[in-house]
Amino acid sequence: MHKEEYTGLAPELMEIPEEKFRLVNLDMDESDEKFKGKPIGFLKDAFLRFSKNKVSMVALAGVLLVIFMAFAGPAMTPYGYNDQNPEEANLPPKMPGLEKLGILDGSRWLTSCRKDSLDEFPEGSILEIGTDVEEIRGVEVVSVKVDYYKYTGVEDDTYHYFGTDYLGRDLWTRLWRGTRISLLIGFLSAITNCIIGIIFGSIAGYYGGKVDMVMMRICEVINAIPQIVLVTLFILYFGSGLVSIVCALLVQNWVATATLIRSQFYRYKGREYVLAARSLGVTDRKLIFVHILPNAVGPVITRVMTAIPSAIFTESFLAFLGLGIKPPETSIGMLLADGQKVILTYPTQVLFPAIIISILMVCFNLMSNGLRDAFDPTLRGA
Amino acid sequence: MAKYILKRIAGIFIVLFVVMTAAFFMMRLMPGGILDGVEENLSADMRDLIYAKYNMDKPIWEQYLLFLKGIVTEWDWGVSLKLYVNVSVWDILAERIPITLYLGFLSLLISVPIGIAFGTLAALKKNGIVDHAVSFLVVLFISIPSFVMATGLQYFVAYKWGWFPLIYDDSLPRITTTFLPVLALSFSPIATITRYLRAELSESLNSDYMLLARTKGLTRVQATMRHALRNSLVPVVNVIVPAFISIMGGSLVVESIFGIPGLGGITVRSINVADYSVTLASLIYYTLISLAAILLVDISYGLIDPRIRMGGSKDA
Amino acid sequence: MGETMIQVKDLRVNFRAWAGTVQAVRGVNFELKKGETLAIVGESGSGKSVTTKAILGILPSNARITSGEILYNGKDLTKLKEKEFYDIRGKHISLVFQDPLSALNPIQKVGKQICEALKKNEHMSNGEAKKRAIALMEDVGIPEPETKFSQYPFQFSGGMRQRIVIAIALACNPEILICDEPTTALDVTIQSRILDKIKELKAEHDLSVIFITHDLGVVAGIADRVCVMYAGKIVEYGTVDDIFYEPAHPYTWALLSSMPDLDTKEKLFSIPGAPPNMMYPPKGDAFAPRNRYAMEIDFEQEPPFFKVSDTHYAATWLLHPKAPKVELPEVLKHRIQRMKEEREGA
Repeated sequence: MHKEEYTGLAPELMEIPEEKFRLVNLDMDESDEKFKGKPIGFLKDAFLRFSKNKVSMVALAGVLLVIFMAFAGPAMTPYGYNDQNPEEANLPPKMPGLEKLGILDGSRWLTSCRKDSLDEFPEGSILEIGTDVEEIRGVEVVSVKVDYYKYTGVEDDTYHYFGTDYLGRDLWTRLWRGTRISLLIGFLSAITNCIIGIIFGSIAGYYGGKVDMVMMRICEVINAIPQIVLVTLFILYFGSGLVSIVCALLVQNWVATATLIRSQFYRYKGREYVLAARSLGVTDRKLIFVHILPNAVGPVITRVMTAIPSAIFTESFLAFLGLGIKPPETSIGMLLADGQKVILTYPTQVLFPAIIISILMVCFNLMSNGLRDAFDPTLRGA
Repeated sequence: MAKYILKRIAGIFIVLFVVMTAAFFMMRLMPGGILDGVEENLSADMRDLIYAKYNMDKPIWEQYLLFLKGIVTEWDWGVSLKLYVNVSVWDILAERIPITLYLGFLSLLISVPIGIAFGTLAALKKNGIVDHAVSFLVVLFISIPSFVMATGLQYFVAYKWGWFPLIYDDSLPRITTTFLPVLALSFSPIATITRYLRAELSESLNSDYMLLARTKGLTRVQATMRHALRNSLVPVVNVIVPAFISIMGGSLVVESIFGIPGLGGITVRSINVADYSVTLASLIYYTLISLAAILLVDISYGLIDPRIRMGGSKDA
Repeated sequence: MGETMIQVKDLRVNFRAWAGTVQAVRGVNFELKKGETLAIVGESGSGKSVTTKAILGILPSNARITSGEILYNGKDLTKLKEKEFYDIRGKHISLVFQDPLSALNPIQKVGKQICEALKKNEHMSNGEAKKRAIALMEDVGIPEPETKFSQYPFQFSGGMRQRIVIAIALACNPEILICDEPTTALDVTIQSRILDKIKELKAEHDLSVIFITHDLGVVAGIADRVCVMYAGKIVEYGTVDDIFYEPAHPYTWALLSSMPDLDTKEKLFSIPGAPPNMMYPPKGDAFAPRNRYAMEIDFEQEPPFFKVSDTHYAATWLLHPKAPKVELPEVLKHRIQRMKEEREGA
């Protein structure tokens, strides 16, 4: 080459020893190098990404905790979910341990107590007397903070962690029992709607053409009807109850899954590897289940995760409308609706179900965000 | 374009017809029938009157045709059977629809600009503190059901702090007395619009046409306003319909929480006491309004996005 | 060709990414002379686009210029504030994008997109801008410019869209045109027409052009000088003749050998391995692991530029006096021979 023509190299470059200029790569293979490291499966890869996402892990922990409590919670009290005890009606929450901190100690402010009647209160039940002394028709009245358990003469070692309702039923037991039902409705409807959606979407997406057009028109019509109308109709006809709520949830929710699956089919069925398989005589069923459907695993799992909170939401919505499951069985929505009626006098009766449903909804939504990111890293942050 | 709109309107009538038919037959064929629970309280005359009114002596399909005929020729939706006995269903609804629409539109009117503002802010400051705060609120607002929000607002803002009336009060200005319900209904659409716009806008901000706009010499603000923001507002129209429909759904419950004499309240009550003629009419009304919303958005979408407008006109 | 338009000195650009910092550009030097076309050639990810984005100050927000200067008109562009760029972009330096479909705003009429630049930079009225825009559209070879003026990008073919992008770039009579793979997204037949158009416009408007591409075949027809980039560095630069007939860097050899042409009977050469992970750029010559002619020193120390001729420099240890004499690969020798014959024939 031209190096002979070249002069004036920097001295330190000239000092490099001769042996450094040995060709070392001459036996190199011209083919591409092998991939280093073990290939990680798609699911495993997604799982790794998911587990690295702190927010998702916190959300997962939240969901698991609520699920755990839904099963263990009712067993932590001596009460059954339908044990009625009129003498212990509408008790405020009282929890061992926390009562010493002044919260959940079974106390309640009673307003407008005659000042001269304070002596008649059960012994030791008065915790604090308010400063808002007023005179109404010549009688001095005042707010009094009482230990409501003592005030109503409930036995000393009685604890209702979340208080009781108007029938004296323990709300802790009922809330976790209700959570169990709400979760059951969530999972049942999410899974069934995915199964229906996958089958419907696969058929429409795989066969395409006229079949697809008719099927998609059906989806459009169903989608155009507001969910609340469909659900109401369903429940009006079949009567309220667990099964009809799940069915009602199904009527519309599978459509989104179906369109999702269909679009996956459209994306993959024209790919070369599918054409190759088909030209080798692979059957339709095998093409669908082995070659195309696995691509949709990620979106479907994410979809299930979003379907669960929306089912729980719809259930509690229906309960609010008085279309919930049949009493005495309960759900978070039923408890919310019942608590809402007495919110001004006994706010804690609505507080706890509201907290639990909010935690569940937030955690499920965060988890589905995390799953979406894990399955499709290109969407990250979007 | 005109043909496209006509096609859509025809589609609406088909869906409406499907819903109406399904609802009618479900309610008539329901175990117990429409007079369940009231029949024994009615005088024989009254019962005969109602039987004649609803043509109950005729076969079901004839009943349905007569029901349809009544609507088409006389705008006769039947009478209430239990809530307001013998009052025309249409009169009951007509009195209540305005307030429900007022709630829905006011809530939408609030949500859209706030959602757009939050979404833009989050996208422009992506991955900054503002963005994270907005994203956190979005998850919260999307997750917490509107009736839980309504309950919380009612207890704290109205009862504890006394800023707003606890329940609907006709004597107060409408804006004050409906402030809390509208607020409760707005959280979720605000969050939906924010999330959607944030995603769209961050994509547009990274797009090539945004870069081209800047290489033309436009300032960052000019490029963002004229190209990125304008383009990402177009698809936001997509989420406004579902948002509006979910507001209308939410108002069912929120109205009964705040005791608002709207369509939601009467629907819930009619379901609970099984006053089917009222239920039927309000369900049809809900269907109609959401279909109309869908149509409206489809049309405006076509007007904004030339790709759809031109595509549509080619088909037609 | 005298006056230097743009001088890039030791430019380094880093990207903050999820997993760490990516060193996209690692000390790039080149200059663009008035009236010339400078091609920058390299694989995807070699840092060529990043370099041009740095010139225009449109690097994404996670990128940072860590050192170096870009001198233009006595100003260092790396130090400019966003505001000061407003007077340079479009007016003095313009960019033609790789993908005309995504570069045009899909929901704005193309005419408006051209006028926008005119109104902003030349303060033209609507009427003036429209007149000028139509003239420009005619100039870049768009038939019926009056009709096309009020059409949307989706109504144009790929080649026509690219012409619009070029019209936008030329709207305000810039001195420097940067073409970032302007033909990559187009059909081959359209490619040559766009290239001819660029050549024609360059002469007409007295432009200096930086032409980015991964396709050496495109370079031959359009460039005066060529820089070959690999892994964020320029590894060889010279005139077109230098690079095509006397390539000195093994990477350039590899690029030339892997160019498909009709006469090659042998299996098409492909460069083994993959470009290095720029989060951890290798010590020494980045190309060494893929280089058949790598020496021990390649893995230890980065090669400096060795002068091949007055116009031709290459950063490879093979040019060191102590290095063994390496013959060009047989395939490449034949190919260069053929190219030379073709040129003489033509």
